[in-house]
Amino acid sequence: MAEYLLVIVSAVFVNNVVFARFLGICPYLGVSKKLDTALGMGLAVTFVMTLSTAITYVLYHGVLVAFHIEFMQTVMYILVIASLVQLVEIVLKKVSKPLYSALGIYLPLITTNCAILGVALLAIQEKYSLVMSVLFAFFSAIGFILAIVIFAGVREKLEDADIPAPFRNVPIGLVSAAILSLAFMGFSGLVK
Amino acid sequence: MNEALNTLTRGFVKENPVTKMLLGLCPVLAVTTSAVNGLGMGLATTFVLLGSNVVISLTSKMIPDTVRIPSFVLIIATFVTIVDMLIKAFSPELNQALGIFIPLIVVNCIILGRAEAFASRSGVWYSVLDAIGMGIGFTLALLVLASIREVLGSGTIFNMPLIGENGTPLLVFALPPGAFAGLGAMIALMNALEKKRGVN
Amino acid sequence: MRPVIILTIIGLISAALLATVADFTKEPIAIAKAQMERRAIEKIFPFQLDSLRTLEAAGTSFFEAYDTEGTLKGIAVKSFTEKGYGGRIEILLGVAPDHSIIDYKVITTMETPGLGDKIDKERFRRQFHGVSLDGPVWKVHKDGGFVDELTAATISSRAITDAVHTGLELINQQYPNTAAK
Repeated sequence: MAEYLLVIVSAVFVNNVVFARFLGICPYLGVSKKLDTALGMGLAVTFVMTLSTAITYVLYHGVLVAFHIEFMQTVMYILVIASLVQLVEIVLKKVSKPLYSALGIYLPLITTNCAILGVALLAIQEKYSLVMSVLFAFFSAIGFILAIVIFAGVREKLEDADIPAPFRNVPIGLVSAAILSLAFMGFSGLVK
Repeated sequence: MNEALNTLTRGFVKENPVTKMLLGLCPVLAVTTSAVNGLGMGLATTFVLLGSNVVISLTSKMIPDTVRIPSFVLIIATFVTIVDMLIKAFSPELNQALGIFIPLIVVNCIILGRAEAFASRSGVWYSVLDAIGMGIGFTLALLVLASIREVLGSGTIFNMPLIGENGTPLLVFALPPGAFAGLGAMIALMNALEKKRGVN
Repeated sequence: MRPVIILTIIGLISAALLATVADFTKEPIAIAKAQMERRAIEKIFPFQLDSLRTLEAAGTSFFEAYDTEGTLKGIAVKSFTEKGYGGRIEILLGVAPDHSIIDYKVITTMETPGLGDKIDKERFRRQFHGVSLDGPVWKVHKDGGFVDELTAATISSRAITDAVHTGLELINQQYPNTAAK
């Protein structure tokens, strides 16, 4: 039990995907202008990240390791993620219109979100079990939501601020992210 | 010839993939703790970019539109895996330092971006120039940020010490906040310089 | 149908190409890995290393270091702890044939640069030299043990103590015969 708790706290706070692992920076900067779009992106990421980590985990051990073709890992993972995103889009469209209109526009962006591939690769690298990998993926995504939602809040405030011209938009966003990551460093040591 | 020169050089500063187009920021932030790592990442990415640009410019006419993106991703992933294996074989230390950011070159938006916007609709010769130019621009951005962070954060450059045994470097630059703030300042500086040039 | 065929062809070419490169780089990768391990082990042991025998057991790797005459001069083991300030710390621990510690080397760490990562400094490492599993209390000073913790990095100090201790236990289980009497 303690082991699971450790992975959860580590994935959400200590080794936060955005602030400590530097994954998913593009959507983090790109879709964080409004609070509700940030949340929508976060939910879509959670969905795809958890599912793709579970699937790639099974395929890695069931196919790649079994046939000694581990070198196909990157190729297979990115194909799985790309097709999964398409599949989710199709299913969502059929099953739930409101959910589709909420998450649909973020889905194509997710294929090139390095956090998805990164977390799937990390789960293998850390030698987690299947249950652990899924937990790790889900809570890494929660960490992503936390990061992007806090950041969206900060950015909405920045809208009214008088910022020197060269720093407008992305540079000030990165500087704010620096301060946030400084705050998140305070979490290290929680896991021990 | 002028057009060729322009294709090659525009990626250096004017259309720099990092400071201007804001692409591939994850590796820029993650691996720039030391100049050697920054350089290694830049070169690995350039190699993949060159390979994918050449293959895609040669084959794009044969690939139907419906499977264009999956085909491109497949081609890019192949080159990334080759680079991954070569780094493991010839520089295990670099492999350890860059970690999962080597396979993650696959999702570096610069590569798919150049494939889509340039290589798939240009000749091989220009695609090669484009890849080299953008690769140099990316490497340059990584190297500059990494050098600044290494000098300030660790007190070394290319692993050579600059300060004495008892000197204390500004640790924060080696840590995540230093990466974010450093990149932010670098982009702002580029914006300011560009504006100044535009006015004159 | 044509798109599917084209995609399949690209996939097949990719797989064939990668299989070739993988085959081609298999040996260099193995050599590079072995060389890196050897360099790390050479840094730990003070004597001239001749041959190295690797043993994969108990979920980790053991390295037996022999001199030119073929006598066992030291054993190294990969050990780790999850108790670091930044999570996992991996070390390579080297002991003499009587299982007393010679030295260790930190392989991977996420400890705070400038504070916790001093666990890799010679000044901190040397207090472990010559210590064995039985004898001292395997804890930091603050907790009543023999390890002098680093200033402002008690957690990292505790963690490295744990990693070294785990390494010694691993060696004791794997090589019970050579244990000091």
